[in-house]
Amino acid sequence: MADVQTQRAFQKQEGIFQNSKKLLAKKTSKGVRYWKEVGLGFKVPKDAVEGNYIDKKCPFTGNVSVRGAILKGIVISTKMTRTIIIRRDYLHYVAKYNRYEKRHRNVPVHISPAFGPVNEGDIVVCGQCRPLSKTVRFNVLKVIPNEIIGNVRKQFVLF
Amino acid sequence: MGISRDSRHKRRLTGGRMPIHKKKRAFEKGRQAAMTKLVSGEKRVRRLRVRGGNFKFRALRLSDGNFSWASEGVAKKAKIVEVVYHPSNNELVRTKTLTRGAIVQVDATPFKQWYLKKYNVDLGAKKTQKKDQPAQPEVKKSRSLQKKLEQRMKDRVIDNLVAEQFQNQRLLVRITSRPGQSGRADGYILEGKELEFYVKKVEQKKK
Repeated sequence: MADVQTQRAFQKQEGIFQNSKKLLAKKTSKGVRYWKEVGLGFKVPKDAVEGNYIDKKCPFTGNVSVRGAILKGIVISTKMTRTIIIRRDYLHYVAKYNRYEKRHRNVPVHISPAFGPVNEGDIVVCGQCRPLSKTVRFNVLKVIPNEIIGNVRKQFVLF
Repeated sequence: MGISRDSRHKRRLTGGRMPIHKKKRAFEKGRQAAMTKLVSGEKRVRRLRVRGGNFKFRALRLSDGNFSWASEGVAKKAKIVEVVYHPSNNELVRTKTLTRGAIVQVDATPFKQWYLKKYNVDLGAKKTQKKDQPAQPEVKKSRSLQKKLEQRMKDRVIDNLVAEQFQNQRLLVRITSRPGQSGRADGYILEGKELEFYVKKVEQKKK
């Protein structure tokens, strides 16, 4: 429990009252945890329900709703805390030559601590939510582990 | 003043500059922060007309607020004594600035009186009582009141750390209102794990 409180302010889930008399009398250390389903058939990870982490931007235990677009991409960077960069590849049609050209976009996506360690090359399904920071508007809903040979940034994977 | 809340002065995600093709607009403007100070006995609140014709109440000096004791379900108006901790900035503690999220010490007497009335238990009373002190005059209680008190005593639970605080006549409270926006410093009494957390932080600071 103690490793959750790494910040200077007490980390807790916003709408949960932890100090009701019933809980005080019981003296159990478990406490109440708020979690919700995000809809669209996405399963809630076990760690979201049973875990201890506090993340207000998590789609399962925080204050964000997933609505709008659902995207799929391949993870290229996991160096930020609680957020990853995914790469979305697509083909752009050039009418003059009747052909396609490869293009890609990098999207920063918030990832909840409910998903264990995510590696570069994994495929991720993310849902649109309200702006969570200057550049993050998506939240990871599902991780599909995947092995990539070679440099992830040089791959072209069309979904 | 020139405080503007636009995003046009920031760079893009790619690092590229954004061309500035408009002047600052009035709907993007920001105002100076309130920096509400804790001054005993004084209350200074200014009214501001904001966008849409609505009003914000900028508290410049405050000395008391309405604090709720969540597990008991009461809120009482009490005097703020001291700012003790702030998670964002230590400077705010030194200058006794009241903001949302500040941890302050509050006078415990309104809550003590309420508790005495509800449960007939004097929190923070010294355990040993001198024999030569005159006994407190017994207030006559009606039978229905006594029955109610018995019932309440059965379910009475109190957090030990909170009960200890009553000994010093001070309770630790977290401010949850925004004094620079609403003009009030309201909050809730810390209990349980949160209380332990902040008590530790305050003691660390003292060292």
